[in-house]
Amino acid sequence: MPEKETACAENRIAYYRQAALENPSRFRLYIWRGNPPGFIPEALALVTALVMFIPILYVLVRGIQGGWERWLTLLDTRIPHLLWNTLSLTVVVSLAALLIGVAAAWLVTRTDLPGRKIWAWLLALPLVVPPYVGAISYIIVFGPQGLVRNLVGEAPFDIYSFGGVAAVLTMFTYPYVFLITSAALKRFNLNYEEAGRMAGLNHLQVFRKITLPLLRPAMGAGVLLVSLYALSDFGLVSMLRYTTFTTAIYFQMGSFDRLSAAVLSVVLILITLVILWLEYRTRSRQRFVQDAGTFRKPLPFSLGRWRLAGLLGLGAVVASALVLPLSVLVYWSYYGIARGALDGRFLEYTSHSLLTAGAAAIFCAVLALPLVYLKSRHPSPVSSFYEKLALAGYALPGVIIALGMVFIFNSYIPALYGTAVVLVLAYIIRFLPQAMQAESASLNQVSPRLDEAGRSLGYPPWQVISRIILPLIRPGILAGMALVFVSAVKELPATLLLRPPGMDTLAVRIWIEASEGFYDMAAPASLLIIIVSAVPLKWLINRF
Amino acid sequence: MKAITLKNVKKDYPGCSVPAVDNLSLEVEEGEILTLLGPSGCGKTTTLRLIAGFERPDQGSIALAGRIVTGPGRWIPPEKRKVGMVFQDYALLPHLTVGENIALGLKKETRGRKVVEMTALVNLQGLENRYPHELSGGQQQRVALARALAHNPVVILLDEPFSNLDTDLRSYMRREVTKIIKAAGTTAVFVTHDLKDALAVSDRVAVIKDGRLEQVGSPVAIYRHPETEFVATFVGKSTILDGVIGPDRRSVKTAIGTIPCAHTHNHLPGRQVKVSIRPDSFELDPAGDIRGTIKETIYGGNEIEAVLEARTTNGPVDLQVHIHPEENTREGTELRFHVLPEFVAVIDH
Repeated sequence: MPEKETACAENRIAYYRQAALENPSRFRLYIWRGNPPGFIPEALALVTALVMFIPILYVLVRGIQGGWERWLTLLDTRIPHLLWNTLSLTVVVSLAALLIGVAAAWLVTRTDLPGRKIWAWLLALPLVVPPYVGAISYIIVFGPQGLVRNLVGEAPFDIYSFGGVAAVLTMFTYPYVFLITSAALKRFNLNYEEAGRMAGLNHLQVFRKITLPLLRPAMGAGVLLVSLYALSDFGLVSMLRYTTFTTAIYFQMGSFDRLSAAVLSVVLILITLVILWLEYRTRSRQRFVQDAGTFRKPLPFSLGRWRLAGLLGLGAVVASALVLPLSVLVYWSYYGIARGALDGRFLEYTSHSLLTAGAAAIFCAVLALPLVYLKSRHPSPVSSFYEKLALAGYALPGVIIALGMVFIFNSYIPALYGTAVVLVLAYIIRFLPQAMQAESASLNQVSPRLDEAGRSLGYPPWQVISRIILPLIRPGILAGMALVFVSAVKELPATLLLRPPGMDTLAVRIWIEASEGFYDMAAPASLLIIIVSAVPLKWLINRF
Repeated sequence: MKAITLKNVKKDYPGCSVPAVDNLSLEVEEGEILTLLGPSGCGKTTTLRLIAGFERPDQGSIALAGRIVTGPGRWIPPEKRKVGMVFQDYALLPHLTVGENIALGLKKETRGRKVVEMTALVNLQGLENRYPHELSGGQQQRVALARALAHNPVVILLDEPFSNLDTDLRSYMRREVTKIIKAAGTTAVFVTHDLKDALAVSDRVAVIKDGRLEQVGSPVAIYRHPETEFVATFVGKSTILDGVIGPDRRSVKTAIGTIPCAHTHNHLPGRQVKVSIRPDSFELDPAGDIRGTIKETIYGGNEIEAVLEARTTNGPVDLQVHIHPEENTREGTELRFHVLPEFVAVIDH
């Protein structure tokens, strides 16, 4: 861009505002900052964004209209208890995940620990284990009828307690903090630390006064993901018989008290918004950017005598988050397959999973394109607004989106209610943001100069998109599809609530079988989901 | 017929106090290489983007080969203008080979023949199947040039084409690119803020400041006879002095004495003017009238750039001079000069 244009960006907004006030026909020019997109991409983006947002809006409206009586009763009886349960779990899990994640990231990137590359992989891998599957494996080992009890005579601790839930949830969420923090540590500009050493600080002081504060944005981002997950998790807490907002909403819907479910949803949405707002505030306050500088490999910190302690610590994490669940599942799968778990019904569940998740992946990849294109090539408050609408479903629990779908399809489109269409739509609303992130990361790599080169070589705008942009962002589109596909295969609460009668998926079967104690039947499906989840691991890790 | 005609073109970036391009009128002859030269932010890149059709002017019209492409009630989109563009970062498509990049947007029938023809023109035979990242900077630039020329454009536009090359390659590519464009017989407009680029490649140079045209002319004319103070100081160094036109109209009376001047714009004798004296005009002469002491020197290898403090009746005056590197000069050395008329010009004000 010519320098003048960027220098005058703010005045330009004022100019267009003035022009719009004087002549309403220039309003469109004003809101698009002088660069309006074509009609077709804008229409597609607008419709997608609205469809993404309406179910959530509907839950909010229904919840607020729920009536004073209902609100007062719930505030009196259920909400305080649920608030305490949910918030204490979220806080404890976030802190524990932060501690484990940062320590592991530092050990793996900055010390002389043996086998650091392998540790880095092993520590990231628990991300592919759906937390409810992890919970099942812990119940199998430590439950009241578990392996340990069979060996020792009594269960070592109560897995169904707060401590048990928090520990298991931490094991399957710390990788978020680990991945984001180690990515930040790898990009870390060493000059800052060296400047600290020059100023006479010792290793510990440098870590406390320089490294840690500069890592705060990364740690904040990691904790945000963990706490949003803890708020929205349904499978793990319900497996471990712990009551949070999500399980309460789920059982409220099960007893057809949808208005109470909507009231509880409003509270949960508010909590989510508060967390997002807190994160936004801390991030905008400390917006320091590290200029990359020239990359240098840091001199690894010598652990000395602490090396063994480091190895034991990482070993314990990998053992409990990866080795234990995998070996338990492999053992029970072997047992289950010998007893005929891989029958025709298993194939049927698998095909239901593949079909619904595949449809969601394809729709997400296509629907994300116009939104991402407008955001990148026509940046303006309007394209940001469309994007925010479409991202609304991202942070919200599956139960709330399912509730919105139930409301809308029951009231307005009953013909489709109870079909796979509703389920796929719920997947799209929940997971479209993943496709958008992958595609926009790709598109931002494509210089707008390439668009202009295409125009000067005789391509009209739509051919620039089809011949230049699409081939270049194909990896991003595929990555987005893979991420959506895997998330949809793993998805539990919305699938439980919205699946058509008789159309069980792998995730649903795991939940049902495990609830009834048939672990040998649940294990092969769990293992299959983990294998499928491992496919886009490369992209999953690169996102951080 | 002119290849490009800009008539009173104006482009405001709304909210800026100064227009990006201000009432610019310019004509480019067919087959000519013209360079838009100016400091960064002067509007030269905007002018290029206006010609290409990536920006719309607020006023004025632009015609390419006699066809109006933008003007009151008329707008032809960039893809229909037959304009070739070479971008600063080349904008080669990373997923396409050299051949495929050159073939972009060409009709199927002509594609094969054109790619052969163009790779021969830019001297890249045998590299058709390489990918852009496998090429050196100079080769990438040739591909960008070939891609732009393959469409037989009316005009080819080059935005700071040499800024990504290091010094050696830069002077080599200046010659190569000029040769290729001349061989193709195409009209070309360069944009640069680098004086050497501009003087080396152009048939004519247009110096632009704050969106306005300061002077158009051949590199020699621009350097020898700057018409404004800005051109005198931006295009190389110059000493600017107040003076009065002498009775013979071939000299100017200034504080450092009467100096011969080859370019007086036919001003009448006695008129108050400013005069620009290039460092090359000052010649060391033990018998010269102009005396001064060396105040600063920058050793440049092939010459010494120096500031000479001359004593005059109105106090000391700083002069920009070049001294042969053989001379043993130090700060404080006293030297005498006389002035040659070729690099002295009266500038309007």
